[in-house]
Amino acid sequence: MSIFWVVRQLAHIQESMATSKKVITKEEWEKKLKDVKIRKEDMNKLVMNFLVTEGYVDAAEKFRTESGTEPDIDLATIMDRMAVKKAVQCGNVEDAIEKVNDLNPEILDTNPQLFFHLQQQRMIELIRNGKIEEALEFAQEELAPRGEENQSFLEELERTVALLAFEDVSNCPVGELLDISQRLKTASEVNAAILTSQSHEKDPKLPSLLKMLIWAQNQLDEKAAYPRINDLTSAHLEDPAV
Amino acid sequence: MPTSATNNRPEDLIVRLSSPENQTKFKALRELKNQIIGNRTKKLTYVKHGVVVPTVVNSLSSNDSSVVVQASAVIGSFACGVDDGVKAVLDAGAFSLLFGLVSHSDAKVVDAAARSLKMIYQSKLAPKYDFLSTEKMCFLISLLNSEGENLTGLGATIITHSCQINAEQKALCDAGILKKLLDLLEGSLTQRDASLEALAAVFRNNPDGNSVFVEADGGRAFRIVCELTKDKYPRTRLLASMCLIALWNTSPCHPRDVGLRTKLIHILLELLDDPGQVGDEAPFALSSLIVGKEDLQKLAFEADVIDKMSKLLKKDSLQAKRLQGIFLALADVCSKLEVCRAKFLSLEVLKLAAEALNHDCCEVRIAACMCLRSVSRSVKNLSAGVFMNELVMIPLIQLLNDASAAVQVAALSALSNVLVEFTMRKSTFLQYGGVKQLFHLSTSMDSTVRLNAIWSLKNLIFQAENQFKEGIFMELTPSTLWSLISDHEPAVQEQAICFVRNLVDGSVDSIEYIFSEEAIIFHAIVRQLRSASKSEVCIQGMYVLANVATGNEFHKEAVLQQLLPPVGSDDQSVLIKLLQSSDDRLRTATVWTVVNLTFPSSPGAYSRLLKLRNAGVYSQIKNMANDSCLDVKLRVRTALGQSIACVDNST
Repeated sequence: MSIFWVVRQLAHIQESMATSKKVITKEEWEKKLKDVKIRKEDMNKLVMNFLVTEGYVDAAEKFRTESGTEPDIDLATIMDRMAVKKAVQCGNVEDAIEKVNDLNPEILDTNPQLFFHLQQQRMIELIRNGKIEEALEFAQEELAPRGEENQSFLEELERTVALLAFEDVSNCPVGELLDISQRLKTASEVNAAILTSQSHEKDPKLPSLLKMLIWAQNQLDEKAAYPRINDLTSAHLEDPAV
Repeated sequence: MPTSATNNRPEDLIVRLSSPENQTKFKALRELKNQIIGNRTKKLTYVKHGVVVPTVVNSLSSNDSSVVVQASAVIGSFACGVDDGVKAVLDAGAFSLLFGLVSHSDAKVVDAAARSLKMIYQSKLAPKYDFLSTEKMCFLISLLNSEGENLTGLGATIITHSCQINAEQKALCDAGILKKLLDLLEGSLTQRDASLEALAAVFRNNPDGNSVFVEADGGRAFRIVCELTKDKYPRTRLLASMCLIALWNTSPCHPRDVGLRTKLIHILLELLDDPGQVGDEAPFALSSLIVGKEDLQKLAFEADVIDKMSKLLKKDSLQAKRLQGIFLALADVCSKLEVCRAKFLSLEVLKLAAEALNHDCCEVRIAACMCLRSVSRSVKNLSAGVFMNELVMIPLIQLLNDASAAVQVAALSALSNVLVEFTMRKSTFLQYGGVKQLFHLSTSMDSTVRLNAIWSLKNLIFQAENQFKEGIFMELTPSTLWSLISDHEPAVQEQAICFVRNLVDGSVDSIEYIFSEEAIIFHAIVRQLRSASKSEVCIQGMYVLANVATGNEFHKEAVLQQLLPPVGSDDQSVLIKLLQSSDDRLRTATVWTVVNLTFPSSPGAYSRLLKLRNAGVYSQIKNMANDSCLDVKLRVRTALGQSIACVDNST
């Protein structure tokens, strides 16, 4: 796997540095970096993995034609997944649930927590739209039985119903439920569940690769001065601080 | 927002489900699907409607693929997680129809049907798959060879569900299934998980299959499974662990790595933190890893299992399944080692276990009882009276009235340990009012309940005072005891006779109990000695006679009379038959009885010695001077020594 390879290279450098504590100049460092061979195809795969996981279908399609990299997942399913995610983000939770069930009826049947969160989001949307009676009926009909099945659901349900007790919901203690961030949280939970059901990693590999890079640099900091990457967006090599 | 489907009355939906119009039918099925997925209550409501499931199953024969796909999805959802749903689906004949659809030309139909069958096979109610039929085996192989994830998943789930006996495991291995499952281990996430579960089913109690696996590809497959115990996904870690546990529980020496087992305990402990199903199942896996194995219980102790679990129990209100698993695992950890019990008590988990005796769910009550049973094996804490208090006794005695026989049995087995009190606290038990229930349960129709009830009573009178024993004996009544001794279950006979053994142990007065009501109990025991086939029953019976033979002349003569054949009969005496038993313990008990009968200082010893000699008992005993069992050898020496002393005394 390419990412592990890169980190292993970093670890190698770190290892060889551990004994000699001398400062590594930018030239030396770049020379060493030149010896690190990373296959173009591996880089492309990483990029494709990011596009596909994050759901950039058009970009993935373009990238496929330009680089000849095959995505590890059917692009059509990405569209479906994105449609679900978008529906939750726009507050059309019922629509999202139906789409998930069309995609794979197993997901919500075997994932009670996710199902509860979607239903909870549905109720939040009803409250947001001022449909109080409908919200109450929905809570009784759909959410209360789930609360009986699981203690932690019951607590979340109580928090949600508390929204109804306040005149000014935006300023109440549970007001954050009405926040857009709550929608995004639910949307990303559905997104992850669909990816897992398709046997796909739920997170792209690129961010964890960057995390590993920072980790490796932190480890190395204790043993040597070297040209560090501080700005990840430019990946500029700083001069070693002596 | 789309209009809510829940506003429609179920009756309308049912009408539309049977519409001749494919479009209407499709919409109705999809609506039904969206209502029931994730919703247990709705599933049960529709199942109760009776007509709904059969109508849906009918739609499987539709000529419209999209209708069939929806119908399959609905059926799968009815079967998911709800046993009544599985039953309804099977009763409506969905099973064979779905199997037919797996060979459909439309890939979407195939996928949907396979997925639904997979759901059904996840229930115990699904019919067993016949691996021994060649045709069925070919079909299974075709499933595992296919491209689709749902098809391979179905194949693996069928194995997980139906592979139980060695013949089936062998048939699967012979058909090369192991190789297919190993290939799937390197497939997608879902394939990997499905394969791990199926492999565990193939390994369970299958030493041959295990060695094939461990040696496959120079151990590569085994290494892959070990690697998967460290996987990123908790479910995969759990399944890989369970796979290794199935392997070890069958072939303990594969491989001899202790470190790997310690690692596995840590992995399972970590999985306990998972909030979902994985966390619920982890303690069960841990339990199966350590059950009955002292070395592994020690490793678990060193890994702080008890600490961790007590923290979990104290932290928040856990779901029933998880509570059950944790108490079961604690019961296993504490089953053999005193250090574990000490830890359990010092962390005050006893209080939590006692509370769980009142839990709504009967599986939790049973697990809590098993936990108490293990902890109360601690002799030190028993004699300190740690368990004989309101906290433990009141809920435990209440469970004797439980509606479930399994709970009663579990409560009895915990109780029988607690009742082995060496101190004077036995009468405290009477104050809690538990004895009446024990009497009642000793006449239960359920033989396991009877067994455990008489077991508890036996322990209750162990080394108790005479007056206490008499009270228990009179209330149990000689006739109840008689029927327990004559029970058709040998295990009940054994415990009932052992009750008598404890009863007549001690002073000469207590021996009189056995001769009350025209000695019915004495005669019942002698009859079992003559006819019982299980040596455990005879051992207890012989010890009763040995105890009685310590009594006065009347007692000794009564025993002798029963053990020797009537004068003039050609029958071999029961005494000689038992002396020739192949069971060391039975031979020991029998010689011991002879020793007690011929104790030189008692007046009739010499005449009894003569009778025994005439019956050929002593020539048999002389043959046993070099018995392979040391216990027997020792008693034989005593018996022979006494016989010389008797002769000396008489002259």
